[in-house]
Amino acid sequence: MGDAADRAAAEWDAGDTGCGELVLELRFRLDALKSGQIMRLTARDPGAPADIPAWCRMTGNPLVGGQPPVYLIQRKED
Amino acid sequence: MANRFCVSLTCAKDNPDKATVAFVIANAAAGSGKETLVFLSIEAVRLAQKGYADAIREEGFAPLKELMESFAKAGGTILVCSPCFKKRKLDENSLVAGATIAGGAKLVEFLSDGSPCVSY
Repeated sequence: MGDAADRAAAEWDAGDTGCGELVLELRFRLDALKSGQIMRLTARDPGAPADIPAWCRMTGNPLVGGQPPVYLIQRKED
Repeated sequence: MANRFCVSLTCAKDNPDKATVAFVIANAAAGSGKETLVFLSIEAVRLAQKGYADAIREEGFAPLKELMESFAKAGGTILVCSPCFKKRKLDENSLVAGATIAGGAKLVEFLSDGSPCVSY
């Protein structure tokens, strides 16, 4: 994971939370970051490997690294 | 890709599993930055009454009340079918956050402007 993980400004262990609960809370938490900052998310829900990349594509917040169950997500530019 | 998403729900305590999953999906849409509408009709209009959803807790999901509160907090809109609401003699002065009573035209307008819709 290297540099991106080292630069994470926030960390959230979502545990087994999944589906709508996961991405809505993720939105709230990422909204609280500044543009360009990175969130280190740990999500163990079995749907997360499909859902998190899709969420990143839809919202424009780049998935910059990580391997399931860890995802490094960068807050997009405003 | 459409920036709107609609969830149509017809169940309440008669099918709490469907009622819960509908709001889980609605929260996925709202959390993904979509302008999201939940349209409540038939028995689902009862969910628009404060307190009604408090007892609905499906195993494996957050309580429905919390899901609905999160949806409102995310800016989601709940439209409540007017004739369904009136038929059941519910109280329009006791609506949950984010809920508005509306007729079918409002739903048709939302969908006609380009929105996918999933139904429960």
